[in-house]
Amino acid sequence: MLCRAALRSLLCTHLGYDNARLSFGAADGGKPFALVDGRPVEVGFNVSHSGRHGLIAVAPAGRVGVDLEERVPRHDLDRLIEAVFGPDERTDLAAVAGDDRIRLFFRLWTLKEAVAKALGTGFSVDVSRFEIPQAIRSGESRGVLRIPQISEARWQLTAIDDRRFAAAVAREIGETIR
Amino acid sequence: MATTEERVRALVDANLDIEGRTAGQPLTMDLSIVDAGVSSTDVVAFWKVVCEEFGIDISAEDFAELLTPGDLIAHLDAAG
Repeated sequence: MLCRAALRSLLCTHLGYDNARLSFGAADGGKPFALVDGRPVEVGFNVSHSGRHGLIAVAPAGRVGVDLEERVPRHDLDRLIEAVFGPDERTDLAAVAGDDRIRLFFRLWTLKEAVAKALGTGFSVDVSRFEIPQAIRSGESRGVLRIPQISEARWQLTAIDDRRFAAAVAREIGETIR
Repeated sequence: MATTEERVRALVDANLDIEGRTAGQPLTMDLSIVDAGVSSTDVVAFWKVVCEEFGIDISAEDFAELLTPGDLIAHLDAAG
């Protein structure tokens, strides 16, 4: 609820309209979009929660997805790795252990989830069909992803880690942006 | 022999934290587990557990359409 209010506040500030003029619609996949006076407006946004924490991304144009996960150890990590990661990602995850493995797992997971949310498909896209760029897997915080088998778009990926949480943003970028 | 609903409920009890529900309570058949506060990691883990328990292969795309207990049970009954 607080995240929704914060999103409204951010969008009103960004768009320069009063709250009463802002409403939301939903695309086919369920992804919400903003309307002002009942008409769609050019702004991308996305929200993620993890427990009592939330993260909001707003982009002036293009699609954007965000994911936030608390980095907690899981007993079923191998099963999840098998389900969602590609061969090179699994190789990288097999090369690390302990906390480093948990950290890399959640970094890759949040990046994939952010892309799926930006696409507006959520769980309906098989995220094992694409791999996070090697530079980000190796520790870079930003990189560009292309997944021609799913979308023509290019995606600016940003990994945001802190001591407790992993988070990621995937933002659609145009050909002229470098 | 346990019904599909009983088997799904046991899997939910063992694997998912549904907001407002404690283990053993009936499932809300039309409530998506995503809307019930289940994290994406738990949804994917649950997908694999369901496939193992029922000995079937459900694609990620198909499972995304089966996020309510009612839809999942209907799919499993049809597949069985």
